[in-house]
Amino acid sequence: MAELDDHVVAPARLRLMTTLTAVSEAEFATVREALDVSDSVLSKHLGALEEVGYVRRHKGVHRGRRTTWISLTPRGRKALSAHVTALQALIDGIDWAPRL
Amino acid sequence: MESKPHRPTATEASAALLDAEVARARLADHIVTPSWFFASIGVAIAVQIATTAAGLGGDAPRLIAGGLAVFAAVAGIQLARFRRANGVWLGGFASRVVLGTATAASVTYALALAAAIWAAYGDRWWLMALWSAVGGAAYALSGGRWMQSYRGDPAAHARGESLAWLALMLAAGISGLVVLVLNA
Repeated sequence: MAELDDHVVAPARLRLMTTLTAVSEAEFATVREALDVSDSVLSKHLGALEEVGYVRRHKGVHRGRRTTWISLTPRGRKALSAHVTALQALIDGIDWAPRL
Repeated sequence: MESKPHRPTATEASAALLDAEVARARLADHIVTPSWFFASIGVAIAVQIATTAAGLGGDAPRLIAGGLAVFAAVAGIQLARFRRANGVWLGGFASRVVLGTATAASVTYALALAAAIWAAYGDRWWLMALWSAVGGAAYALSGGRWMQSYRGDPAAHARGESLAWLALMLAAGISGLVVLVLNA
C-alpha cells in the first residue's frame, strides 16, 4: 500500500509538483504565477524538493534575462504518484500504515 | 531541523488534491500557441512534401534539402517563440505537434508524401501540389487537436518521446530519403 510522503505532504509542495507534471520544464516566474506564491516561498519548497531529488533546477535565459528553469525528476514523478495514491486511499477511507 | 509534517484528514487530502489539480489546470490553460503557429507549420510541411516529391520526380536532390531546411527553420523559430511566450518547454508539443509523431500527423504525412511522389513521377504537378497542401493542412489540424487533448489532461500529454526515439525516427527518415534519391 502506498504511503504518504513526508516531503510532499505540505499542500504547497503537492501543488508545485502536480503543476510541474503539466510541462517538461518551466521558468521560475511562470511557476510562481501559476501557484500564486512569493519568490521566497517557491524557492524554499524548491530547495527542499531538490534536496531529496524530486525536482531539478538549472540556470537559463528567458526573454533575455537570466532565470531558473525547473522540472520534475523521474524520482519526483514516482514519489508524487505514490503520494497521490495514498491520499486517494485516505479519502476513500482506507487507513494508511504509519511509517515506523 | 524540519518538524514532522501534519498528516491530513480525508477532507484535507481531498481539498489538497483538488487545489493541486486547479493549479495544474491554470498553468495548462495559460499555454498558448504563438500567432500563425499552425498555419506556418502546415505551410512548411506542404513545402517540404512538395520539394521532396518534385526533387525525386525531377531528379533534383537539392530541392529536397531545401524543403527540409525550410521546415527545420520554421520549426526552430516557432518552438523558440512558443517557449518565450509561455515560459515553459513541452516535450509532447515539440514531438507530437511540430515533429509530427502524433498518429494522425504521421499517418496523413506519409500518405500525402507517397501520393505527391506518385503524382510527381507521372508529371501531374497540379496533383502533387494538391497532395502537398492536403498533407500540410492535415498536419496542422492534428496539431490543433493535440492542444485540445493536452488541455483536457496535461499530465498525460506533457512529455514527448525520448531523444533516442526521435534520433531513431530521424535516421530512418533520412535513410528512406537517401534510398529514394539513389533510386530516382
